[in-house]
Amino acid sequence: MVKLTMIARVTDGLPLAEGLDDGRDLQDAEFYKQQVKALFKNLSRGQNEASRMSVETGPYIFHYIIEGRVCYLTMCDRAYPKKLAFQYLEDLKNEFERGYGNQIETAARPYAFIKFDTFIQRTKKLYQDTRTQRNIAKLNDELYEVHQIMTRNVQEVLGVGEKLDQVSQMSSRLTSESRVYADKARDLNRQALIRKWAPVAIVLGVVILLFWARNKIW
Amino acid sequence: MGTENPNHANNYSRPPQNNNSPFSSSRPVVGSQASAFRPTPVLSTPPSGPEVSTFRPTASYVPPTTGPFQRFSSPTPPPHTSPIGQPPAMRPPPTMRPQMPPMHMGSSPLSMNGAVNLQQSQPSLGPTNPSAVRAAPSSAWPGYTATPPAPVSHKGSYGPAPPQPAASGSFSSHQGGYGPAPPQQAASGSFSSHQGGYGPAPPLGMYVGGPTPPAGGMSGLVEDFSSLSIGSVPGSFDAGLDSKVLPRPLDGDVEPSSFAQMYPMNCNSRYLRLTTSAIPNSQSLVSRWHLPLGAVVCPLAEAPEGEEVPVVNFATTGIVRCRRCRTYVNPYVTFTDGGRKWRCNICALLNDVQNDYFAQLDATGRRIDLDQRPELTKGCVEFVAPAEYMVRPPMPPLYFFLIDVSINSVRSGMLEVIAQTIKSCLDKLPGSTRTQIGFITFDSTIHFYNMKSSLTQPQMMVVSDLDDIFVPLPDDLLVNLSESRSVVDAFLDSLPSMFQDNVNVESAFGPALKAAFMVMSQLGGKLLIFQSTLPSLGVGRLRLRGDDIRAYGTDKENALRIPEDPFYKQMAADFTKYQVAVNVYAVSDKYTDIASLGTLAKYTGGQVYYYPSFHAAIHKDKLKHELARDLTRETAWEAVMRIRCGKGVRFTSYHGNFMLRSTDLLALPAVDCDKAYAMQFALEETLLTTQIVYFQVALLHTSSCGERRIRVHTAAASVVADLGEMYRQADTGAIVSLLGRLAIEKSLSYKLEEARNAIQLRIVKALKEYRNLYAVQHRVGTRMIYPDSLKYLLLYALALCKSTALRGGYADSQLDERCAAGFTMMALPVKKMLKLLYPSLLRVDEYLVKSDDFEKLCRRLPLAAQSLDSRGIYIYDDGFRLVVWFGQMVSPDISRNLVGEDFAADFSRVSLVQRENEMSRKLMGIIKKLREADTSYYPLCHLVRQGEQPREGFFLLSNLVEEQVGGMNSYVDWILQIHRQVQQ
Repeated sequence: MVKLTMIARVTDGLPLAEGLDDGRDLQDAEFYKQQVKALFKNLSRGQNEASRMSVETGPYIFHYIIEGRVCYLTMCDRAYPKKLAFQYLEDLKNEFERGYGNQIETAARPYAFIKFDTFIQRTKKLYQDTRTQRNIAKLNDELYEVHQIMTRNVQEVLGVGEKLDQVSQMSSRLTSESRVYADKARDLNRQALIRKWAPVAIVLGVVILLFWARNKIW
Repeated sequence: MGTENPNHANNYSRPPQNNNSPFSSSRPVVGSQASAFRPTPVLSTPPSGPEVSTFRPTASYVPPTTGPFQRFSSPTPPPHTSPIGQPPAMRPPPTMRPQMPPMHMGSSPLSMNGAVNLQQSQPSLGPTNPSAVRAAPSSAWPGYTATPPAPVSHKGSYGPAPPQPAASGSFSSHQGGYGPAPPQQAASGSFSSHQGGYGPAPPLGMYVGGPTPPAGGMSGLVEDFSSLSIGSVPGSFDAGLDSKVLPRPLDGDVEPSSFAQMYPMNCNSRYLRLTTSAIPNSQSLVSRWHLPLGAVVCPLAEAPEGEEVPVVNFATTGIVRCRRCRTYVNPYVTFTDGGRKWRCNICALLNDVQNDYFAQLDATGRRIDLDQRPELTKGCVEFVAPAEYMVRPPMPPLYFFLIDVSINSVRSGMLEVIAQTIKSCLDKLPGSTRTQIGFITFDSTIHFYNMKSSLTQPQMMVVSDLDDIFVPLPDDLLVNLSESRSVVDAFLDSLPSMFQDNVNVESAFGPALKAAFMVMSQLGGKLLIFQSTLPSLGVGRLRLRGDDIRAYGTDKENALRIPEDPFYKQMAADFTKYQVAVNVYAVSDKYTDIASLGTLAKYTGGQVYYYPSFHAAIHKDKLKHELARDLTRETAWEAVMRIRCGKGVRFTSYHGNFMLRSTDLLALPAVDCDKAYAMQFALEETLLTTQIVYFQVALLHTSSCGERRIRVHTAAASVVADLGEMYRQADTGAIVSLLGRLAIEKSLSYKLEEARNAIQLRIVKALKEYRNLYAVQHRVGTRMIYPDSLKYLLLYALALCKSTALRGGYADSQLDERCAAGFTMMALPVKKMLKLLYPSLLRVDEYLVKSDDFEKLCRRLPLAAQSLDSRGIYIYDDGFRLVVWFGQMVSPDISRNLVGEDFAADFSRVSLVQRENEMSRKLMGIIKKLREADTSYYPLCHLVRQGEQPREGFFLLSNLVEEQVGGMNSYVDWILQIHRQVQQ
């Protein structure tokens, strides 16, 4: 059963539409919405993700497809057939592209296509019950293949981003630290040089002074 | 001009003295006679000579002779060549002529009473123009007749008038006598006062002539206050004040211009009005300003064509706000450091300018892109909110109807009217395809309706378990309007007939409310409640409590005006939490406990509509219009509002229909253009160091088209150290609005009497303080002084005390009406509030009979009984109802034309419809015009005939605020009372 539906632009994670009254009977809808937003942010960072993916989270599972720079995501129970979920997303995608395909890049405000929620609402109802004739027919449809779609865990997915973040942070820290080290080393080198030759230079100077003085006096 | 000719005829009959060259030849004659008369300027000795020289004394006794003099100054002078001597000589120079307004002709016959003695040649004048005698305004003459010593004083001042060389004759002496005083006032009879008070008074002066002016007491100082002269003897107040001259807001609300003038980038005053645009700089100054210090905000006020609020989209930049105080960027921020930083005008913090908002500064320090940035030039803009401003996707407009279908609503016809109205509005609901709609009806059970789009007829489900309410269907109770349109149409068509035989008298209001809450709580929206009886079943049942007379006048009186059952307040809190706004439509002929029902609207940003003794035949149009307006007006959803102000100033209290979410955040599930909110501020520090205080109202809302927006109004006001300046820049409208809200809130916890006294006390204190400012400097004596900006405050305060919400005691208005009026006034914008307090009264019969322009003939009249002439037809308009008042002596023809054949019948059964004649068309035209002037409410038209009690008393007489009504003072008495208290 479909719990949440969200559509966002991949390039910057801008939400474009969301199902109406989503999370009606969901305890912690807010928590999952936050996860979805984090997921969108990850995607917008340009990591090359598969265009179709399922992500497990707690008792639910996110399914998303990315097409034409738009990410269509839905959250279902784990028991809900994967095949139906992706068909649902395909339906949304077709309708969304038909209606707003050419305006996606120019959308300047969040939820610019919130009017789409009525369609989401309507379509969701069709997929509510897995045992209707229509849905059984879709399940049996061999043409639509979902087996090779990868399933990962949400911690993993969000974690990848986190780890990458960490690595880049570390490397940048390394760069700056090594720069500091180089500066310090140069400084120390100079000091060592001075320490080594300064006494000799002083002695020489004194001797020359003496010579010069003797010449003057005598 | 008809009065002129006989006069000239009289003159012609005089013995001609000179035939040619009137000026030169008449000189010696006139001169000699004049000199002969001057030493004996005794009025009581009528010079018997028919000579012109009789005019001489008249020149020095000014008032009585205005008549004759004017006559000679007629625009139709006798021809020069006429063989008469004097009239040509008497002809004033051309420059004098325009100074004689024709209006004086009316009064001239009266003035002749004195002059006739002098000039025996004009006995026929009085009778020649009887109309003029009748038309002579009594106002002008009592003043004169009541001042017998006036001529004496005139002699005093005019006696030494330069004895003109005899050569210039009487003609020049006229000039001498009249020169200093414009003839208008000379004719008005109050000459002495005019001389004493008016002359030195500045143009501001409202100084109105009383009979005993402090003549000569006025120095040349320019007074910057207005005053009313009140009888010098403290015991004799009655004669001391002329009600004609009291200030009245007959031009409607006048907004002070200083607000916009000093800071042209301020938002328009329809959005934000300060009670004074001069902010006091110290606590001590605040304590001496006894009026409320605050603002009235109407964030979504309707903008006239061409002044729409500009929309700004920062897109990727994000909204530019101050880091510390979260102020939105506005015209008063300053850019420094070559445009890389901006200083917040409210907290003075230096913020960085984001890269994509950067623009260079020109030589004067202005941004070069200023003209493309409305947020930096306009005080009022709307920002498109980015995703951070949303807790959820923008909600769709949602309308949910909770309809009482018990016997009362069916019998009164309410059910039919609302079903028709809702149906006719379905196309106009905002939100196009996203709008959601749902219905619940109830009597002793609750009926749900399944409106699934695939059905052809709605399915009704009845829940009769009132103790444990459940929703019988998970969805489809709330449906998308565009998808289920046919089902909704079918439902509304069948709704009246479904219940037409319902005889159920019970009302399970509380449980139905809970059911509605369950259905709506997911999305929020607007809940419209139609209630026709007292809730009698389940939770939230109420009991009859309004008719307990004993409670009135005791400390328990106020308990009747607050909700009896905490259930209502609790429900209101829950509704607000889930973004539901409640509008209550109460139609009942019996007590419905509006005090309790209205609480739902009060805390959810809603509105109470009350239709006492509703009957479809009469109130149909009103309910229809107001419901339609409620459904179709532009509404902002799930809003929050906050007002920020500069350092040292802090908003302390908020007044209006809303729920306070934190200390300064107003939660408004729905806002529209008809709602205003008032707030008061206080100084946090003892001394303000800044020169200017800024205010910024920000309303974050979702528009009906599903956009999240932030509307920002910014205004600046200067800080002053002078109390006089505060008074000078006061805004009566805002003060009255705030005073009214405070008084209504006070009436919820105290007696009405105390609420009224509180108003009076504040005004007395304020005027006393103001008087102390000037008492030493100017010799104010017994005059009542007040700032010109507050000249209507007294009247409005009086009207406030007489308003439906605050007037009288038990018998003066029904408890329900009183509560409904209170709820309404808490939400009214300033202009509507003032209109309600001091309604307009127009006399229309003249316009109806003659075909002249409306503006000229129909002017607002004072709301006093003496404005009503029994030969006239008047329209009274307070924005909520129109009363057409027929005088007893209106000719039957007119009545027949307007009302039809049954014009003599009882007017309560007659309704005004357009008839096939010019007069009726005109009247309906006026009514239409009045209604269109303000569409937020539909003023229902009532016909009232003079003397037809109790209708006349109820509709009109009790609303004449200047009269003594319901134990409250008349305007004159009120002023005298205030004055006495101020002087103490």
